[in-house]
Amino acid sequence: MERISVHQFITLGAAVLMGTTFLPVASIVTGVGGRDGWMSVLPGFALGIPYSLMILSLLEQYPSNNLLQISETLFGKLIGKLIGSFYILVAGYLGGLLLGQVGDIYQASIMPLTPLGVFYLGGIILVLLLIQSGIEVFARFSEVIFPLIVIALFLNIVLSIPRIEQGELLPILSEGFKPILVGAFKVMPFPLTYIIFLAGVIAFLPTGEKELKQLKSGVWRVVFMVGILDMLIVIIQILVFGPTETVRLVYGLLVLGKMVEISRTIAGVESVFLGVWFGAAVLKIGSLFFATNWGLEYVFGLKGIKWRLSLCVVFLGIAFRYVRGPSLILEIGLVDEYLIMPFVAIWIPALWGVAHWKKGVGIGRKETRSGGKG
Amino acid sequence: MGSWMKMIKELTIRPKGERKIRKSPSYSFDEDLNKPLSGETVKEILSKSSDVVFREFLLQGKERIPCMLVVVDGLVDKNLLDQFVLKPLMVDLVGHPELAQVTLANVIDKTMESLIPGIEVKKISKMGDAVDSILSGDSVIFFGSLTEAIVVGARGWANRGVNEPIAESVVKGPHEGFAETLRVNTSLLRRKIKHPSLRIISLKLGDMSNTDLVVTYIEKIASPDIVSEVLLRLSKIKMDSVIDVGYIEEMIEDNPYSPFPQVAYTERPDVLAGKLLEGKVGIMLDGTPITLVVPAILTQFLSVNEDYYQRAMTAILSRFVRYVGSFVAVVAPSVYIAVTTFHQEIIPTDLLMSISAGRQGVPFPALLEALTMTVVLEILQEAGLRLPKPIGQTIGIVGALIIGDAAVNAGLVSPLMVIIIGLTAVASYAIPYYDLSLAVRMMRFPLMILAGILGFFGVAMGLYAIAIHLLSLRSFGVPYTSPVAPLRIRAFLQDTFVRAPWWALKRRPQLMDVEEPRTNGKG
Amino acid sequence: MNTKLKRSYKIAPVLLCISLLFISGCWGKREVENLAPLIGIGFDLGEKPGTYLVTQQYARPKKGGSSGAEILQRTLGAEASSVREAFETVSKGAYRTPFMGSLKVIVIGEDFAKAGGFNDVLDFAQRFAEFRRSMYLVLARGRAEDILNLKLRSEHLSAIYINYIIEGGNELSTFPTVRLGHYLTVLGRQSTAPILPVVKSIKPGEGINYKAEKSGEAEELQIQGAGVLRGDRLVDFLNDDETKGYMWLENEVFNRFINTVDLEETTVKFSGQVLKSKTKYKLHTNNESKELYYQIKTSIAIDEIIGLNKQLSGTEWVKLAKEAEESFAKVIEKECEGAIKKQRELGQDFLGIGRHIEQRDPQYWKTIKDQWEEEIANFPVSLDVKVTVHHTGMSSSSATNSGGEGQD
Repeated sequence: MERISVHQFITLGAAVLMGTTFLPVASIVTGVGGRDGWMSVLPGFALGIPYSLMILSLLEQYPSNNLLQISETLFGKLIGKLIGSFYILVAGYLGGLLLGQVGDIYQASIMPLTPLGVFYLGGIILVLLLIQSGIEVFARFSEVIFPLIVIALFLNIVLSIPRIEQGELLPILSEGFKPILVGAFKVMPFPLTYIIFLAGVIAFLPTGEKELKQLKSGVWRVVFMVGILDMLIVIIQILVFGPTETVRLVYGLLVLGKMVEISRTIAGVESVFLGVWFGAAVLKIGSLFFATNWGLEYVFGLKGIKWRLSLCVVFLGIAFRYVRGPSLILEIGLVDEYLIMPFVAIWIPALWGVAHWKKGVGIGRKETRSGGKG
Repeated sequence: MGSWMKMIKELTIRPKGERKIRKSPSYSFDEDLNKPLSGETVKEILSKSSDVVFREFLLQGKERIPCMLVVVDGLVDKNLLDQFVLKPLMVDLVGHPELAQVTLANVIDKTMESLIPGIEVKKISKMGDAVDSILSGDSVIFFGSLTEAIVVGARGWANRGVNEPIAESVVKGPHEGFAETLRVNTSLLRRKIKHPSLRIISLKLGDMSNTDLVVTYIEKIASPDIVSEVLLRLSKIKMDSVIDVGYIEEMIEDNPYSPFPQVAYTERPDVLAGKLLEGKVGIMLDGTPITLVVPAILTQFLSVNEDYYQRAMTAILSRFVRYVGSFVAVVAPSVYIAVTTFHQEIIPTDLLMSISAGRQGVPFPALLEALTMTVVLEILQEAGLRLPKPIGQTIGIVGALIIGDAAVNAGLVSPLMVIIIGLTAVASYAIPYYDLSLAVRMMRFPLMILAGILGFFGVAMGLYAIAIHLLSLRSFGVPYTSPVAPLRIRAFLQDTFVRAPWWALKRRPQLMDVEEPRTNGKG
Repeated sequence: MNTKLKRSYKIAPVLLCISLLFISGCWGKREVENLAPLIGIGFDLGEKPGTYLVTQQYARPKKGGSSGAEILQRTLGAEASSVREAFETVSKGAYRTPFMGSLKVIVIGEDFAKAGGFNDVLDFAQRFAEFRRSMYLVLARGRAEDILNLKLRSEHLSAIYINYIIEGGNELSTFPTVRLGHYLTVLGRQSTAPILPVVKSIKPGEGINYKAEKSGEAEELQIQGAGVLRGDRLVDFLNDDETKGYMWLENEVFNRFINTVDLEETTVKFSGQVLKSKTKYKLHTNNESKELYYQIKTSIAIDEIIGLNKQLSGTEWVKLAKEAEESFAKVIEKECEGAIKKQRELGQDFLGIGRHIEQRDPQYWKTIKDQWEEEIANFPVSLDVKVTVHHTGMSSSSATNSGGEGQD
């Protein structure tokens, strides 16, 4: 059984949680909260903490099981399988949509004449390579790529400082707290997509007492790291573009990258930045691919390269269905908000609640022991 | 095979036990070797070779015992044999009370005990051992019709001295290098590490060549898992001959389809000693100065021994230069292609103008131009490599200066392309390990093609694919990209991209999951 | 067997990658020498209603002698009702692909600006991915076409020349630097009226004297003054002093040359260089009404003193420096008041006073937001200028004659 270390859990979690959120987040929160939109990023991401902690406590009870297996033991076969199917559906669909986004971004921003299929194919090949190499290599990939993403984002933020317009963040809180809360609600789907991946990856986490403690503090670190980074990104965009433009720009951070000038040597770094973004997208799509794959494996027992290849085809199919950029972005928003959010929001607490209740009754103890051996 | 396994078990599971003198594997194809040991049979087997000398003489003991000394001419030190074997037995000791007691029954024990003053003397009773010993340069003495014999070690042959290795030169550091003789090499190593826990285990490889091989490591520092893995893999090698460690390298590496070197090598005793002290395992082979070091990690190929001899500050700078150089060597041509054919917006306008002006009239697209120039560069490198030094330099000058300049003047290539290719070549020389530099040269071509088709998307794709490949590699169980991924924070910060000063390097780099202090005292 | 199978599956993606290479590779690939870098673009009113004249200035790099590239210009115009259409028309006659990534300057002709509607024109520049929002916007006195077609004596492309002037603008701080991104951000603020610098061609004797190669033709360019827009329509031009006032009030003065020659009340005139300047904004409340209070703090080094004809002692010299500070402050105040006066006349908030109020008192701003256009004319503004003279150059008193003729 492959295992990933605590540090890998943190970078992997951060990379998946961050995923590709740094592109749309500014537009989303500013659309609701205006100049104060940046304040809703952290509260929105913080929602990920209780959910992650619930999952980790389930891990403590049922080591080396993923949430699908735990669902089956707790809710019975039928409901477990139902949940599993829904899980597969949601994860796979979102994965395919994000694959579509790779094409959309590249075509819209730097390579207008290249066919979309090439981007999809490039993305899915890398994802398949990662999947075939296993979760350990995936975790290591995140260890290498996530620092790159962070560095690229920081560079983008720092290099944009000369373009800051005077006083765009002011006035603070002129509309009160309500828009911030609504904004936070809009951000919530981001951490919940991460939960989808976490539900599967917990089977590979270390289960020692010391490690569990580290994992729990790791969750906090992940959420705050990503939350603060995303917040900085929103702030710099509001500072440079002003709220109206931030909302209007589809991929604001890219436009920011276009405006970077390092004296007269470099003019615009968006194509380099997009290279890093591509890595982030591969990680995110890979995580959803993994989730779908686990789902197929544990719910229906479909293992092996055959099913992975057919999953690739499904992903490509979903991507090709949305060749129209605006409808793709809309669809991603809809899936986030109306599929993933309610599903995860109900599933995890219910699972946790039942597990705790059973533990209290005393049935849980037996389960723990059998789980520990498996 | 069974004895191999047994030996591995003995060596790894009971590491405190004494080192066994290993018996060489028996010949299986020669029936003669299954016969009982006797001088006559040996003579039958070896007499067809003119370099084997059979010296028959009589021992004047209680009984007159006919003896025969068998050596290979050129592999033994004749002076030594004359002085310490033949002379005592035939001249000096005649009439000596010890010699007077010798009979055919006790001749072997007596000779070993008191008659031959050499250091390496041992008794053998197998045909195979006898033949092996003779062919390896030992001298074997047969006594009458006895089925046992004595081996006297008095090897001596023409030897290349301990010189500075050409491929690994240093400015600051020891200038000695390994030679072709195994024993010389082990002695060089032993002089660096004078500690009983330095293990030197002898093996033989190759059915035909019967080459001596030594596995060396430091007990308690090297992980037993890695040592047993090394021995296991060596034991699985079935080869006719082993001429160079390259044979072994290919047989024991984890992923033979990867262009990246997964086994490090060195010609320097100081490097080997340093690596052993980090917990690695060395494989030395008789007949080559190259020593393999396993397990290998990627970053190791970008650090050199001088990093540890220079002061930390300067070492950090030169390491940094090496990392930058290797990155440039991989991506420079592909980035140039991507930028000039897809992402012109990244070029500042002034530069855009001069690139554009430089490319006016160049008949090839940038991709083809870069590919051609890179191929030319490869040809030049290959051409200059094996030529005698003075001619090699001429090749470099002719290639780089004259062809390059003429090509630009003729409008075949743009001046910037020449700069890029030159930069790439120079940058790839900053990679200290030739094997890695070869791998980097191989990576360049697919990246260039990807860049020519898909611009930065292709470059990013290619780099990520390479990254995934590297991340999935392992060398003897150690992830190839450690300590970066999986992150070993201490090793990463102290001895990867930078080298911490020696007073801060208190722990050995963590190869597996244990972390050892470098000193036994204060950690 | 299993591992072998696994390995072959690992190779499969690699094979896929390789096969990818053989697909024809010309998606969006453009060799750099086949591009025509677009440097400047100008907009004027077209002959037909609803069309405009789009003047495109391309650089044509040519292999130069020793110093790399020599840049020739190629300026083409086309009348069309959308910018893309104009590019299409021009491209029909040009063998190179226009490359927009290098666009430096958008020049908007005076008539076209007055007619309005250039947000539609700018939409192409902010939407199409090759453009950057860091390009500069300028208004032209006269036609943009004429500005771009100008044959400059320095043999620069006029668009590049404008770009150089703007990028060196920090040293002068006499005209606003407006990038496309800044313009769009200001538009997003709603309450503030955008302002653009004005470029004009100069014939010999119109401010600058030079010897033109063809007499009667303009061969030099200058950026001076600014134009105030209401929506996307040019309302009026600001003269040089008003623009300078705007620069003070907007805290955009970095370095500047300043002189007190026009001050009537002093006899000794000073010129100097602004070393740094900082403008702060405060919203004062007087009873019911609010007042915006500008506080400008400036450091100046004196470079030139005129009309000083006696040697001063140390204390007198200190006094004179204090006088200089007052004189400079008066000049700055005058410039600022000019800008404020203009703002009230036009009823356009190009000084961004509304934004300042919003930043400092959002509640109050909400009450006056809707009738802000009427409020501008009489919203109270006060000004406080503090000048510090850091040094007076390499000497103290000026050289004087020994009381001969002409000396007082």
